Amino acid sequence: MILEKGVEEKTFYLNLGPQHPSTHGVLRIVLEMDGEYIVNSDPVIGYGHRAHEKMGELKTYQQFLPNMGRVDYLHALAYNQCYCMAVEKLLDLKVPERAEYIRVITCVLNRISSHLLWFGAYLMDLGAFTPFLYCFDDREHLLDLLDGLTGSRLTYCFFRFGGVPVDIDADFVAGCRAFVSRLRSRWDDYNNLVTKNVIFINRTRDVGIITRDQCIKYGITGPILRGSGIPYDIRKSEPYSAYPEFDFEIPIGSTGDIYDRYIVRLAEMEQSCRIIEQACNKLPDGPIMAEKVPKRIKPPVGEVYQAVETARGEFGMYIVSQGDVKPYRIKLRTPSFANMSLFPEMAQDNLVADLVANLGSIDVVIPEIDR
Amino acid sequence: MEEKTGEPLVKLAVLENVLNLCRANSLWPITFGLACCAIEMMAAGASRFDLDRFGAGVFRPSARQSDLMIVAGTISKKMGPAVKRLYEQMPAPKWVIAMGNCAISGGPFNYEGQYAIVPGADLIIPVDVYVPGCPPRPEGLIEGILQLEEKITKRGRLRKYR
Amino acid sequence: MSSQNIIQSLQPILGPDRLSELDYAATGCHLRGEAQPDQMPALAAAMLEQKFYLESPTALDLMESFEVVYHFASFYELCRLVVHVPVAVGVDVPTISQVYPAADWYEREVWEFFGITFSGHPNLKNLILPEDADYHPLLKDFVASS
Repeated sequence: MILEKGVEEKTFYLNLGPQHPSTHGVLRIVLEMDGEYIVNSDPVIGYGHRAHEKMGELKTYQQFLPNMGRVDYLHALAYNQCYCMAVEKLLDLKVPERAEYIRVITCVLNRISSHLLWFGAYLMDLGAFTPFLYCFDDREHLLDLLDGLTGSRLTYCFFRFGGVPVDIDADFVAGCRAFVSRLRSRWDDYNNLVTKNVIFINRTRDVGIITRDQCIKYGITGPILRGSGIPYDIRKSEPYSAYPEFDFEIPIGSTGDIYDRYIVRLAEMEQSCRIIEQACNKLPDGPIMAEKVPKRIKPPVGEVYQAVETARGEFGMYIVSQGDVKPYRIKLRTPSFANMSLFPEMAQDNLVADLVANLGSIDVVIPEIDR
Repeated sequence: MEEKTGEPLVKLAVLENVLNLCRANSLWPITFGLACCAIEMMAAGASRFDLDRFGAGVFRPSARQSDLMIVAGTISKKMGPAVKRLYEQMPAPKWVIAMGNCAISGGPFNYEGQYAIVPGADLIIPVDVYVPGCPPRPEGLIEGILQLEEKITKRGRLRKYR
Repeated sequence: MSSQNIIQSLQPILGPDRLSELDYAATGCHLRGEAQPDQMPALAAAMLEQKFYLESPTALDLMESFEVVYHFASFYELCRLVVHVPVAVGVDVPTISQVYPAADWYEREVWEFFGITFSGHPNLKNLILPEDADYHPLLKDFVASS
């Protein structure tokens, strides 16, 4: 008798976050579901808003330096580098060659640590706990190196306008070489454990495909763009710092699914090892700070846009100066903001079980979205 | 009996001490990383700085199953009500560690004219242990957990070595 | 050469003397354009046809008026274009989110931080600030009350 009345179907709302183990920070996604399928999704951001851009207007140029380590704490040195380069452009400062090499070596080491953390955390999201422990072990060896040089493990504030404050010594270079050979001995472990794992392949092949058209319309950059087949890396197409001196490749994928993005990130770690090796071999002697760095940073009137390639994509800084000690406007163009805005389209009409795999493969850092 | 000897009929103090020892040696934190300090919390739970040897390595996603909230990161004004609600969802006895300068007092984001953050977790929930640092090293967080154990048991672990 | 293509395709939309070349080493951009608010949708469509992506729309508070600033760049060739759109207080800017879906979130951010309305936007409400926040923090005369 109950079945004679007929069945009525409605969609329901499911709330993911802001406290959730797999959202990589404080992100809330409101899902409209039809059974297991997602009809609509609406990311609610802003739970990590710390007002960096307003702080940029209220602090002097030097006082804003520590903020850059907190915007994206996983690849903090690249953000430091972008800010320093932007202000050096405004001041027309030339950074000495040894300082550029030190900047590149530390930045690339930081990139490896960011990708290792992504690797471990993503596989933990998918349910595999072992790679997390392996990756964090590798990462600790790397952090020992950077800790000895900069004094911080995570939120670095190591670069200064005009160069770097501390020089590297032979111990650091030997440590880099030892770390690179140690990491390279791990590739077999990671490939056997994860890359060839049939469960991993089934969960990530042909899931979460992002097309090139979507990349252009949404402004997607970084490993996601390269996983979809467009070989755009700012270190190659708009070379800055000491990158033109090194020989490295840009790994790209073909289909744009999660598996391709994973392979791209793994390959980027190997290319980063190549850059570190070459930099350690070619390290020039010389000063580490520019000659005439003004004590009061007061750039002339003007505006500048500086972009660098971080582990998540293209980070751009737009600084407007009105000739004061404080910037007039600092705009942070963070890659995770653009990458996250694609998420509703990517999640639509997919299973909720694939949602976590999709979200993790975009590799977002929430404080970077919320600034 | 109480009038004769002055001692209570049922001695619950010993039971309470044993229970406190059990609670202190198996604190279950809630996975509540807000910002940068979350990464150091993950590192404290990972291979080198293993929190599991202190019994505190079982991170529970659900507030109903945990008894320790490690507030790791800046609390923004939008997130404040969520923190309070999660704290209220945890069953008693529960403890809070404020990890990092942002959770203690707003940290580097506390300045004249800040509109976006709550300058300190103790403005919304009661905090037991403060672990300073930006971010604190994983060893610092472990020291905070050991201090919390001392607070719970009044004895502390490894006291003769510290 | 990308710059020449851009100048050719944008000149009919913007009019003469609205595009100038910039010193790339000093400013990080190759071209600078000045546009009126109602020219933006056509400009965005022209840039999408040239396969440029929208980098970061933002705004400047110039005390008596605003200026909305758009940056465009390309994956295929090194060419950066910055477009300045002067906007008087209370004037709407047409949305470009039907051309570039990325602009959806950027325009919401500009709305909540500066108070500039984008006409035709499907969902113009707070993105980063709390839903009930009624202040615009990045204005120069904004003072935090608490």
